[in-house]
Amino acid sequence: MSDAVTVVALLLVAASATAAVAQRDPARQALVLSFLGMVLAVLFTVLQAPDVGLSQLAVGSALTPLLIMLSVRKVRRRGRTKEERT
Amino acid sequence: MNRLRLGLLAVGGAGLAALLVAACLDLPDFGGSRHPYGDRAVRASLARHIANTIASVNFDQRAYDTLGEMSILFAAVLGCVVLLREARDERRARPEPAEVVRPVRRYALLVLPVALLTGLYVIAHGQLSPGGGFQGGVVAATGLHLLYLGADHGALERVRPLGFFETADSLGVCAYLVLGAAGVLAGTAFLANTLLPYGTFDTLSSGGTVPLLNAAVGMEVASAVVVLLAHFLDQAVEIEEEPGR
Amino acid sequence: MNGWILAATVELGGGGAAALWGVATGPPARRLTAQNLTTSVVCPALLLLAQGYARPAYVDLALLLALLGPVGTLVFARLLSGEQVSGPNVRGATWTAAGLDAAVVVAVCAAVGPGRSMVKLLLIGTLLIGGNIIASRALAGGFRGVGGG
Repeated sequence: MSDAVTVVALLLVAASATAAVAQRDPARQALVLSFLGMVLAVLFTVLQAPDVGLSQLAVGSALTPLLIMLSVRKVRRRGRTKEERT
Repeated sequence: MNRLRLGLLAVGGAGLAALLVAACLDLPDFGGSRHPYGDRAVRASLARHIANTIASVNFDQRAYDTLGEMSILFAAVLGCVVLLREARDERRARPEPAEVVRPVRRYALLVLPVALLTGLYVIAHGQLSPGGGFQGGVVAATGLHLLYLGADHGALERVRPLGFFETADSLGVCAYLVLGAAGVLAGTAFLANTLLPYGTFDTLSSGGTVPLLNAAVGMEVASAVVVLLAHFLDQAVEIEEEPGR
Repeated sequence: MNGWILAATVELGGGGAAALWGVATGPPARRLTAQNLTTSVVCPALLLLAQGYARPAYVDLALLLALLGPVGTLVFARLLSGEQVSGPNVRGATWTAAGLDAAVVVAVCAAVGPGRSMVKLLLIGTLLIGGNIIASRALAGGFRGVGGG
């Protein structure tokens, strides 16, 4: 019974990781990835590893989305300027 | 020849797998009451008056590994800076200033100092509670970019002297190395935690060199993230390919 | 297993599953709303876990999430602003989440009693609820005037 919270966190991590892989669009992947980051932090807390959870939160909640979305924007902008030229 | 190589790989892989499985079978059970590593780590950390055992492992017993991780981040950021520089067939275009609605702008300006303070708090309490240089550095650096979210890239550029952060990045790595070399000069070993008094347990100054190493890592990580994001933002917002090429 | 951990399990199981469903399916506007609500679901769970394990230091995780979660949502709102992201009125969901956060913060505050940890909890609550409301405001068109910047 005391493992229930571990099981819930593990299931959420597995489900969201699968969902992140199943998305086709990078922007949508980034959205699911940020969800995955947060539940991973909960899993680490439940497994009594708050240091790792803190690293995961620091990197996963704002920094990774920012890097991914900036890259997506750059790629899309490049596609647009190419289209205008042709 | 190719098959021989594959065969050799298979033998090596099978041997490694067998060793790993044998090691796994001998590990203490999940959730059990026997903690051979934990007991030793906690004893070592209490001997150095460090409340957070993870900080003791990272910055005392395994400080050399942390130096490796730090250089990986340094090298990775350096590589990104080289890759994302303004190339010969690219030019800069000033983006038009952005109009962000007032509540969002106010929120960004209010939370920015809170984020910087939280980052410093996490770095300073590395040896007392979960956290440390890496986590705090990332928080502080992310907080700075609220200026981009709440205003625009121009506003961020005005308060972010990039050269200063590049210098701080290198200085952080140097500080870590100097702290390590100080141990050698004092006659013990590289990065050995014997230099400073261990202080009172559960206070900010406890743990000998651990808080100093944490501060060095915090400075390095915060500046590295700022430099990295600066080049990403440049590429995403300002730099365009030269038309007509 | 005590009541706090049980509460965290139930809250995380229900809210987490709903948020995951919202974030992985449907139109972009709904995904963004669900991403914003994830912070409001996970942060109270972290507070309840910290209280359940009787480890005040674990509250730092909730502090970081309350601080950076809305920043993450602002990142998405800002960098997806060119697309059709401002969608249906989500005031109901936002206020429900804010109510849940407030209830959890008050309950944990009552358990720890007055002191420095209570100040920290109140700071987390303020950051969380304020950030949640501002982020949903941003999703509802806060970056409409933002062009290429």
